[in-house]
Amino acid sequence: MASAQAASLIRRLTRGDHEALGEFYDLYAGLVNGMAIRILRDAAEAEDTVQEVFVQVWQQAARFDPSRGTPEAWLCTMARTRALDRLRKRSSRREEPELDDQGSTPAPRTEEALAVRKALDGLSEDQRRALELAYYEGLTQSEIAERLREPLGTVKTRIRTALTRLRGVLGPSS
Amino acid sequence: MNQERLLELVPLAALGALDGEERAAFEAELARSPAVQRELAAYQELVGRLGLATAGPPPRAALRERLLRETKPATPRRAWLAPALAAGLVAALAGLLLVRSQRDAARLQVAALEAEAREAHEAATRAQAEATALREALTSEVAFRELVSHTETRVASLTGLVAAPAARGRIVWHAGRGEAVFVASGLAAAPAGKAYELWIIARAAPVPAGVFQVDAQGRVVFRLPAGLELGGVKTFAVTLEPAAGVPAPTGAMVLAGAVS
Repeated sequence: MASAQAASLIRRLTRGDHEALGEFYDLYAGLVNGMAIRILRDAAEAEDTVQEVFVQVWQQAARFDPSRGTPEAWLCTMARTRALDRLRKRSSRREEPELDDQGSTPAPRTEEALAVRKALDGLSEDQRRALELAYYEGLTQSEIAERLREPLGTVKTRIRTALTRLRGVLGPSS
Repeated sequence: MNQERLLELVPLAALGALDGEERAAFEAELARSPAVQRELAAYQELVGRLGLATAGPPPRAALRERLLRETKPATPRRAWLAPALAAGLVAALAGLLLVRSQRDAARLQVAALEAEAREAHEAATRAQAEATALREALTSEVAFRELVSHTETRVASLTGLVAAPAARGRIVWHAGRGEAVFVASGLAAAPAGKAYELWIIARAAPVPAGVFQVDAQGRVVFRLPAGLELGGVKTFAVTLEPAAGVPAPTGAMVLAGAVS
């Protein structure tokens, strides 16, 4: 399973094994790139994000705590944080591109990715829309309410219900 | 904010979607509630895992090369070289290399070398202190020679008392210039926390004239602080006192000499 391989690679990274970085990159560059592209919708900016995330992995591998989750979740959190930072920096300068059709996302490769995709598909359209605005655009609850022209309370309930449901379906990390 | 209300906000907080006063209130309460912290960590992990749904194609191959080039461990380099006063220290320090590719091993090595460097530094500090002491002694001796060459300069001998029978001392002074130098031998090193203190006794109470230590051979050349009133001096005395000196003598008198 990818996570076990990743955990072993992270141990090697902690020891300063530079070769392990290449292997770790091969395993997860697509994951990080996918997140960055989805958020930034710009291949060049996504690549910069990928670079930043893996430099961070190299420097901070020792901070990874397996008791707090999978390496994939750790990476995705770093990727999302960095990509959203970039998005916020440029949003004052540039108009947001319209969201692409979701069909452009390639098919997930692992079982866990499939499960996540399936769980997301199980949400209602309203729930998924509100969740995605928070997840990929970094909008706050008030900003989402404004964007969707819905009452704040409704938006909060939708997001809360969506995440609670996903947690129920996906369970704790394996 | 009660616990139930707090837990309701956790999913929104994990996404970073809270804002305004609600966010401030949540963050303030969070610090006080380990249960909410655990719940938040679990939701944050879930939020991270949701990213699996967006896996995309790997970036261009050139990016992999760029990453590996930019993170490539630095070639071994000399971390630092202490300005060594004592010979032989250089050899100990030159080995202080930081090799990132062998970080763990290097860390142990670095720790050992740091300890050596620390010792070297301490040795250097000691050597420097000794040099300073020697320089001061030399200055005192020059002052002493300059002083004895003067016709108005007077000299008094001090004799060891019961506490230091082997001690001998001599003081030369020029009352008009307020300068004096004291030399002594045969004194034991002062115990830890103690020092010798010199006193000028004229008409009334003894006046402190400075504290000093003796060298390993029990000798001292001590230049008294400038500006002391030496005009009516009748007796010079030395007592053993706390190292910082005291305003009036408290300890045993080890040397004394009357002015003839």
